[in-house]
Amino acid sequence: MLPKLISYLTLAAAYVRFNLKSQLEYRGAFLSQVAAMFINDFFWVIFWSLFFTRFPVLRGWNVKDVITLWAVTAAGFGLAHALYGNGLFLPQLIARGQLDAWMLYPRALLSHLLLGRMSATALGDAIFGFVAYLLMVRPDLPHFVLFTLLTMSVAVLFVGFSILSGSLSFYLGNAEGLAEQWRFSMITFSTYPTTLFDGAAKLLLYTLIPAGFVSYLPVEALRELSLSHAALAGLGALAVLLAGIAVFYHGLGRYESGNLMEMRG
Amino acid sequence: MTFWRKYSFVGLISARSNLAYFGDVVSRVLFLGVVLYIFLRLWKVTYAETAVQTLGGLTITQMLWYLTVTESITLSAPRVAQVVDEDVRTGSLATQLVRPLSYPLYRLWTTLGERLVRFFMNVSVGSLIAWILVGALPVSAVGLLIFVLALPLAFVLDFWANFLIGLGAFWLEDTSGLLLLYSRITMILGGMLIPLELFPRAMQPVLRALPFSSMVYGPAHLLVLPSLNELIELVLRQGTAIVVIVLFVGIVYRTALRRVYANGG
Repeated sequence: MLPKLISYLTLAAAYVRFNLKSQLEYRGAFLSQVAAMFINDFFWVIFWSLFFTRFPVLRGWNVKDVITLWAVTAAGFGLAHALYGNGLFLPQLIARGQLDAWMLYPRALLSHLLLGRMSATALGDAIFGFVAYLLMVRPDLPHFVLFTLLTMSVAVLFVGFSILSGSLSFYLGNAEGLAEQWRFSMITFSTYPTTLFDGAAKLLLYTLIPAGFVSYLPVEALRELSLSHAALAGLGALAVLLAGIAVFYHGLGRYESGNLMEMRG
Repeated sequence: MTFWRKYSFVGLISARSNLAYFGDVVSRVLFLGVVLYIFLRLWKVTYAETAVQTLGGLTITQMLWYLTVTESITLSAPRVAQVVDEDVRTGSLATQLVRPLSYPLYRLWTTLGERLVRFFMNVSVGSLIAWILVGALPVSAVGLLIFVLALPLAFVLDFWANFLIGLGAFWLEDTSGLLLLYSRITMILGGMLIPLELFPRAMQPVLRALPFSSMVYGPAHLLVLPSLNELIELVLRQGTAIVVIVLFVGIVYRTALRRVYANGG
């Protein structure tokens, strides 16, 4: 088990180096995308700051809680897709029969395939998350350690969710639009205070659109420094990842090759 | 063929080709439903916690209808900057230049045709959702006419801003960062998420003077609170902004064309 894990981590590190080098080939484009996403996230925080200036408390949440929410979501999403950027492209890869090239490698298909691309904008998200939390929330050491752990949990959840939504293409053919809408819905729900929702909507936030594991549980864990909330967030993330893997491999049985000739460097 | 006939045909063909993918466009309004539901919850909680009937002069019903229009406007924006960017990078701009059409005007009318279909679809579905969530908005035929008159120049202004960003491809490695920032500024400073009346008092005159509010806030506010004076003011602001940006685009476009090289073949 351990040698396999070490082998995979070595492969992942090699892919990160390779992906970063490939991004830096177009240095201007890469830096502008990272900076644009950082500023974009910052605009959102400004919006919430303005909102809370007018309405200081929203069902017990204040501006610090919303900044924490944005920081943990952005950092988690950013880490997930800076490392596993191909997760965002799964619908296209499946619908166009482009998994063939990845099937030829002597590696587990899904975990290898996800490493194939780095999202530059996701890197901007990740940087923003940590910078915003450190500068605007000013945590003490225990809070910062917990925040870092929670970003990993959120990253696991987003990877799982990308696999789950992307795997729709195995069943529906070209499901790019639907997967995109599902992902946008997940991101949107993840960036609003969960306390706004109740009843059936709350149930939805822990099942079909599992944003509760991104927004409510991590923020509560950081507010109360509560390990039980953090553990629940981690378990939820793991459940989404396992569901994603199960659906992907089940759907793989329906995959049809695109018979494409491709050169990969 | 006269000038207007030629370009209105371009717009008509664009609208018809978008209608051909009616099902695809309708499937993409799922996200609109999610966003409107989130807004409804956010504002219902805000109205309840502040214990007032109106915020920024709007009741909860008017607020949700306002947000329905701002979302419909924002989500109906076609991919102008990306298409221009692609035309510049792939060199297909050179083939467009030999046609008996002005490239910027061709793109303008194609965009208007596409936007008309997308906006109509969004606003129809959005209205249905808003009606289910908060009930009908009392609006007279004159009020509706005032709203409709506020839209065309808003779309034209947004087009020229996007076109300008796309032209950036002549000099920049990547324009997606610029586009992301433009769309975020339009969303937040344009009043997509909250009406300008709820911004801090000192910011309101500045935001009204900026062109972003003429594209989003202006038309939406006229639907919920129709006013002939406000329409005249808005159209004047839109017209002024269009003249300024078209002059700027003209300078940039002429400079850019000097960088186009075409070889026979």
